[in-house]
Amino acid sequence: MNAFFMQSKAEILRILRNPYYVFWSLAMPIVFYVIFTRVFNTGIDGQQEWQAHYLMSMTAFSVMGSAIMTLGIRLVEERAQGWSKFMKITPLTDTAYFFAKMVGQTVIHTFSIIVIFTAGAVINGVALTPAEWLMCGLWILAGSFPFLALGTLIGTMKKVDTAAGVSNVIYMLLAVCGGMWMPLETMPSFLQSIGIWLPSYNFGNGAWQIVQGNAPELANWLLLAGYLFLFVVLSNYVRRNQEAAV
Amino acid sequence: MNEIICLKDVTKTFKDKKAVDGVSFSIRQGEVAAILGPNGAGKTTTLSMMLGLLQPSSGTVKVLGENPNSRKVREKIGAMLQEVSVIDALTVKEVIQLFRSYYPEPLSFEELVNLSGLKEYELKKRAEKLSGGQKRRLSFALAMAGDPEVLFFDEPTVGMDIHSRKIFWQTVHLLKNRGKTIIFTTHYLQEADDTAERIILFHNGRLIEDGSPAEIKAKLTRKSVSFRKTEAINIKGLENLPHIQKVSVKGGRVHLETDDTDAVLSSLYKLNGFWKDIQVDSGRLEDAFEQLTEEKEAV
Ligand SMILES: Nc1ncnc2c1ncn2[C@@H]1O[C@H](COP(=O)(O)OP(=O)(O)OP(=O)(O)O)[C@@H](O)[C@H]1O
Ligand SMILES: [Mg+2]
Repeated sequence: MNAFFMQSKAEILRILRNPYYVFWSLAMPIVFYVIFTRVFNTGIDGQQEWQAHYLMSMTAFSVMGSAIMTLGIRLVEERAQGWSKFMKITPLTDTAYFFAKMVGQTVIHTFSIIVIFTAGAVINGVALTPAEWLMCGLWILAGSFPFLALGTLIGTMKKVDTAAGVSNVIYMLLAVCGGMWMPLETMPSFLQSIGIWLPSYNFGNGAWQIVQGNAPELANWLLLAGYLFLFVVLSNYVRRNQEAAV
Repeated sequence: MNEIICLKDVTKTFKDKKAVDGVSFSIRQGEVAAILGPNGAGKTTTLSMMLGLLQPSSGTVKVLGENPNSRKVREKIGAMLQEVSVIDALTVKEVIQLFRSYYPEPLSFEELVNLSGLKEYELKKRAEKLSGGQKRRLSFALAMAGDPEVLFFDEPTVGMDIHSRKIFWQTVHLLKNRGKTIIFTTHYLQEADDTAERIILFHNGRLIEDGSPAEIKAKLTRKSVSFRKTEAINIKGLENLPHIQKVSVKGGRVHLETDDTDAVLSSLYKLNGFWKDIQVDSGRLEDAFEQLTEEKEAV
């Protein structure tokens, strides 16, 4: 138990010390948030609504990024450098190692959510009820699981460069097509019809619904659960094949 | 229970390459054994199977009487792999503390620092920023973290300077005196000669020799007495002296191959002085090693 606790702590420290995390998952979303709510779009209708909506977009964008990229690339690095192999001769089981990573990521996600929510409250005075803040935070935290599973799928790649390239493209496509940068309604209809099926849209939409006083839609729940299942099965399948090849 | 490691008829095939081919041996408690052999002989592959990192294609490997993958085994072994790898973004101290937490009865932090010879300023450095030799010291500390009974070192001193190397082997002697079982590989034969009480020689995936350094040397000694001639004598006649196996001339020197250099010397002294500049060459491990692997290639 002590080992699991220490391992989780180590994973948290490692992410916090990763400059990419600080830049992409904290600095960038906040900068985007300022640009799209203060520089442009000032004086439009429903400004308060937009500010709350976009705060959720950026928080979801941040958490999705660390789930896919920070986790995925790190897994590849650890294998490429032989660290994962070295861990196999310690008494810490693969399962404990994996769950420590998940706990570490989740703590980091909680931290990102708090930082970005606070930034929204300070920058634009976004005012939600305590229950709404909490619900949004929990939704984003739970909704990150399919993306963590996607991260472990990326993590099965052989080369760090490939993993970094591929995960970047996936991340950006998911963000743009899922309406995290610009609302889906402002996009061409064929993109909209694809977008609503993406995990990113369903992830964001749950939180967008909550800030409007609704509950996440059933489709959001179902699709995210479906993607979680799909990515877990896929990454287990790939991993098993790789192990059998040795 | 005396047998710590036991390999029975172990073979490991990669695609169609046999990296390890029908190897059997066992290691007793407290033994210090060196696995030697040229590049690609199968040393790392054999160690990897003992560590449970690779599964043998056939045959069985047991460590402490169990499957090397079992948790009980992992708690009691420590290893330095041939390719050192370090976790990034943690300081040396943090990595050591993390590793201590994995084991039921870890060595104290201070003791690990002492054993590995890590310096105070190195402890605060990020592990990935250490030099090659410093990384080896860290990986030694990690191997020792759980106070293991069995230690595996795969070319542990590669990249270490002379001083670190000396300290490392002193520490190994210390561990040996504490009753640890130690298996290592090296390409520095002197290290094996000085430290191991047993040498297991690999070649092309096969175990070709197994014995104490003295036995291995004795078996293949090219002990010889050599001298320069001062007068034209018929060296063929020397073959009739006792204990002489072969007479040859190399580089202007006459070499008398023998199993007893003392006897040859006394014969030479008894004969009148047609010799000068006598040298005695008692076989070195290098020679034995070369001879063994050459012989096998010829077969
Ligand atoms: N993962 C692998 N896939 C394919 N072949 C491999 C693999 N690992 C080792 N081999 C092959 O198996 C043989 C034995 O390799 P091994 O690493 O055990 O040698 P070694 O004795 O440790 O050599 P060295 O002294 O160079 O470290 C080599 O021919 C090597 O090419
Ligand atoms: Mg090797």
